[in-house]
Amino acid sequence: MRDADIELIQGTLNAVILKALSWGPQNGYSIAQWVRQTTDGELELNEGALYPALHRMEHRGWLESEWGLSANNRRAKYYRLTPVGRRTLRERTAGWERLVRAVAAVLNAQVKPA
Amino acid sequence: MTGAHDDPPRGATHTSEPLWRRYARFFGPDPVADLDDELQDHLTSTEEVLVAGGMTQGDAREEARRRFGDVSDVRRTVRSLDAQHLRRAGLREAAGSVAMDLRYALRMFRRSPLFVLVAILSIATGVAANATAFALVNAVLLRPLPGTDNDRLVRVYVNHHSPFSWQSLDWLRSHATSFEHLVGERTGAMAFQAPGSTETQRVRSSLVTQAFFRMYRVPMALGRAFDADDRSTNADDAVVVLSHAYWQEVLGSDSSVVGKTARVGGTPVTIVGVLAPEFSGSMLGWMPQILLPVSLAPRLLGTRLEELDGSFYSSARLRKGFHASDATSELQLLMAQLVQSDTARYGRMTVRLDHMRGLNAEVRGIAMLVAVGLMAMVGFVLLIACANVANLLLGRAAARETEIGVRLALGATRQRLIRQLLTESLLLGVGGAMVGLALTYVLTRAIVRVVPAEAGLTSEFFVPDARVLLFTGGLCLLTTLLFGLMPALRAASPSVTPMLRGTAARKGRAKGKLIVLQAGLCVVLLSVASQFARSMVRMEGVDNGFDPAGVIDVAIDAGLGAGDSVSRQALFERVLRESRAMAGVQFAAFSAIVPLTGSNMETVIAPDGVPANGSDGLPRTRFNIVSDGYFVMMNVPLRAGREFDVNDHLGAPRVAVINETAARRWWPGANALGKMFRWGSADGPRTTVVGIVRDIAYDMPGEDAKPFVYLALSQELRKDVVLQLRTQSPLSEVRSAMWEMLRSGAPNLPPAPVTTMQSDMSITILPIRVGASALAALGMVALLLAASGVYGVTAFAVARRTRELGIRAALGASRRHLLMLVLNESMRPVLAGAALGTLLATAASTVLARAIYGIRPFDPVVICGIGGGLALVAVCASIVPALRATKIEPVMAMRGDG
Repeated sequence: MRDADIELIQGTLNAVILKALSWGPQNGYSIAQWVRQTTDGELELNEGALYPALHRMEHRGWLESEWGLSANNRRAKYYRLTPVGRRTLRERTAGWERLVRAVAAVLNAQVKPA
Repeated sequence: MTGAHDDPPRGATHTSEPLWRRYARFFGPDPVADLDDELQDHLTSTEEVLVAGGMTQGDAREEARRRFGDVSDVRRTVRSLDAQHLRRAGLREAAGSVAMDLRYALRMFRRSPLFVLVAILSIATGVAANATAFALVNAVLLRPLPGTDNDRLVRVYVNHHSPFSWQSLDWLRSHATSFEHLVGERTGAMAFQAPGSTETQRVRSSLVTQAFFRMYRVPMALGRAFDADDRSTNADDAVVVLSHAYWQEVLGSDSSVVGKTARVGGTPVTIVGVLAPEFSGSMLGWMPQILLPVSLAPRLLGTRLEELDGSFYSSARLRKGFHASDATSELQLLMAQLVQSDTARYGRMTVRLDHMRGLNAEVRGIAMLVAVGLMAMVGFVLLIACANVANLLLGRAAARETEIGVRLALGATRQRLIRQLLTESLLLGVGGAMVGLALTYVLTRAIVRVVPAEAGLTSEFFVPDARVLLFTGGLCLLTTLLFGLMPALRAASPSVTPMLRGTAARKGRAKGKLIVLQAGLCVVLLSVASQFARSMVRMEGVDNGFDPAGVIDVAIDAGLGAGDSVSRQALFERVLRESRAMAGVQFAAFSAIVPLTGSNMETVIAPDGVPANGSDGLPRTRFNIVSDGYFVMMNVPLRAGREFDVNDHLGAPRVAVINETAARRWWPGANALGKMFRWGSADGPRTTVVGIVRDIAYDMPGEDAKPFVYLALSQELRKDVVLQLRTQSPLSEVRSAMWEMLRSGAPNLPPAPVTTMQSDMSITILPIRVGASALAALGMVALLLAASGVYGVTAFAVARRTRELGIRAALGASRRHLLMLVLNESMRPVLAGAALGTLLATAASTVLARAIYGIRPFDPVVICGIGGGLALVAVCASIVPALRATKIEPVMAMRGDG
C-alpha cells in the first residue's frame, strides 16, 4: 500500500470500526469477525491494523474501553462508542455518501468534457 | 501470558490470567500488559474458532497469525501511540494544575488586598533599587560604547593607562599589522565661531587621526565624516564635524550649516557633517562638541605634530582572526624597537591593550569600587524587603494553619501544598518585579539628567537593556525563593491534628531571626549613609589651609586664540594689572590649577644633597605654577622666605616656593631656604627655593599633606591660566567686567568661564555628596521597610499570645510583669540585630575611612539612634496588643485565641 492509500484506508477503517460499534460494545476480535462477515471477505483486512486504529480513536475520545471476560472467560477489552464517536460516525457516513454520489455521477456521466 | 495452550477445549472455564494480575490493576493501569492481553485474546479467539472448524492446532495458530499480520509490528505501533498519549495527557494535567494553582492564588490575594499591596510594594522597592543600580553598573562598566560598532575594538595604552605621543602613535600604526585601524584622539578646548556669527564660544574639541570615523563606524545624522591624510595641508581638508547636541543647542538644528564655513581659533573650517545623537564619544563620560582632523593641529595649536606629547588617547580595531594577545605581543615588540631608537626620550615605555566596554581604564578602578559598594547596599535593601515579605507570609501561614491542615487531612500532598504556596510567592515576586521594573525605567531616565552635559549621553543611556532585564528576571526568582521557600516549607510540614484544632504552637523563632537580619542590615545601611553625610559636613568645615570664600575664578585659555607666547605674556600682564585696579578687588593672581577641583600636575625633582637611586628613584612631587601675589590672595601664610615678585622674570635665576612637608621631607633638620633642586629630571634646570608656605589640600579636603612645589608663572610660561580675584563684588558684576576687559584685550577669545572658587571646588566633594544622598535615600527606604516589618511581626506575635497572656493574668500575674514579659521578647531580636549591624558597619566604615576623609569606624550616635529607633517601633508594636491582652476576661482567653 502506498502512503496515499493508507490515508484513505485509515479514514475508512475508522468509519468501519465506528459502524461496527454502533450496535453495542465489542472487542477487537468480534469487530474483525463482523467486518469479514458483512463484506463477504471483499474488504481484505489485516486484522492487526484494527488495534492502532482502536487505540488512536480511544485517545481521541471517540471510544471508551472496559475490561471484561470474553465468552471463554479470558480478559478481553471491550470498546464502546462515546457521544463524540457517535457524532463522528454520522458525519463520516454522510460525507462518504456524498463522495460516493459525486464519484458515481462522474463515472456515469453521458456528456463529454468541452 | 505466552504462547497458546495445547488443545484447550472450547468453553473450558479456566482463566488464562494469573489471579494476582487482577489485583495488580488496583494500583493503576499497566498499559503494556493490557495490550499484550488484548492482542492475545484476539489471536486465541481466532485459533479456537479455527480449531473448532476442524483445523489442527498448529495450522490454526499459523492461520490466526496470517490473518492478524505482523504481531510485533502492531504491538510496537500501539505501544508508541499509547506512550505518546500518556505524555500529552501528563502535560495537559500539569498545565491544568498550574492554572489551578494560579487561580487559587489569585483568589487568596483578592481576599487580602492589603497584604498583597504591602508585599508587592516591598518587593518592588527592592527590585527597583537593584535593577537601577545594576543598570548603572551595566552602562558604566559592562556595556560597549553606544553608537559604535564594537566588534574587535580595543583601547591601546602606554604603560598602565596613559595616552600616546604623536611620534609613538605614528610609529605603532604605521608598523603594526594586527589592526585594521589604529587611531588617536587628542581632547581639549577650542574657540568656535558659528557660520555668520561674530560670537566665539569655548567648546570641547577632539583632534582625531585618519580613519577615526571609519574605525568606529560612527553614524552621521547629517553630511559626512572626514578621513583625509593626517599631514594634509589641503584647504579642502580644513573641516569640522559637530556633535548632535551642539548642533541642536547652538545652531538650532539648522541643517543648512553643512557646507558653510565656521571658524575654529580664528581658522576657517568647513562644517561637513553632524554626528548621530546616539554616539556619545569614544570615551564614556566625555563627548566633544566639535571633531577636527589632526592635520589642523599645526594651524590651531601652533605646534608641529611631532611635538605633540603624551596626549593621544588611542584605540584600534583588530584585524579579523587576530587575537588581542597576538596584537599585544606585536605592539610590545614595536615599542621595544622605538625605545631602543631613543632611550632618553621613551625611557621604559610599554604598551598594553584594554577592552572597550564602559569607562576607560584610568577611571575604572574607582568606578568599580563604587559599583561594588552600591550593589552591596542595594542588596541589603533587597534582603530587608525579602525579610519583610517572608514575615508577612509567615504571619499568613500561621493564620492559614487551619486551612492548610484541612487540605493535608483531605489528602493533598505536601509537595502539592508547597507548590501552591510557592506559586503564590512567585506571583507576588513577578508582580513586585514588574512594578519595580517600571520604577527602574523612570529612575534610569531621571538619573541621566543628573549626569553633566559634557558626557553627551542620550536620555536612553541608562535604560535597562537585555542584560539588565535578565538580571531583573533572575532577581525576581531569587527573591521569590528568598522570601517564599522558608514559609512554604514550614507551612506545609505541620503536624495535622493540633492545626485542625487551631491550637498549634507558636512559631516565633523564624520571625525573630528575620528581625535580627532586618535590624542589622538597616543599621549597616543607615550608619554608612550617615557616615557619608557627616564626612561631607566635616569636609566642608575642614581647614584646607587657604580661604576660598570671596575668591572668583576666571579661566583664561589664551591658546584658544591666535598669537605667540610674547603676546600672550603681554595679555596676562595687562589682565593682572587691570584687574588689580578694578573696584572691589582686594587681591588678584594667576595660577595654573585651582586646588580641590580635580586637576593636578605631577613631576620628579632631584634635590641637591638627596641621593637618588637612579633616575626612577627621584622623589615625585605635585606642583602648581603661580604668579606674584598668589599666596597673599589665597591667604596661605608664608612660613619663611618670600613670595614670587616681578624680579623673577624669564631671564632671572629660576626660583621656587615649596610647602612645609617638602622642606621637611627633602632637607630634614636643615633650612630649606636657598637650597637647590633640578626640575623634571636629574639633569633638569636648577631651581632655588626662595620661600616656604603652609601645606594646603589639593586632592581631597582634609588629606594628608604631600610635598608641593610652586613655580613662577613668569618663568614657566603657559597658555591657559586661572585668574583668581579676592573681591567683595558679586559674581555677575565681576563676570561682565572681566568679559569687557578681555574683549578689548583679546577680541578673538571666547568668553572665559567666571565662577566662584567654592563652586569650582564643589566638584571634589560631588561624588561624596551624590554618594551620601543616594545612600541616605536607600537608608530611608530600608528604615521604612524594616520599621514596618518589625511593627508587623511584633504586633502579630503579641496578638497571638493573647490567650496565654490572658491565662497568666487570670492566674494573678501583674500587668507590669506581663508587659515586661512581652517587651523582653520583642526587643531581643531588634537589639541583637542592632549589635550585629554595629559590627558589620564598623567593618565597612573601617574600610571606607581609608579612602574618604571624615569617616570614623565607629559612630555611636548613629548606631544608638538607629537601634533605638527600631526598638521604639518594636515597643509601640508590642504595647497595644499586650495591654489589650492584660484586660481580657480570663474566661474568654481560655476559650479561644481571643
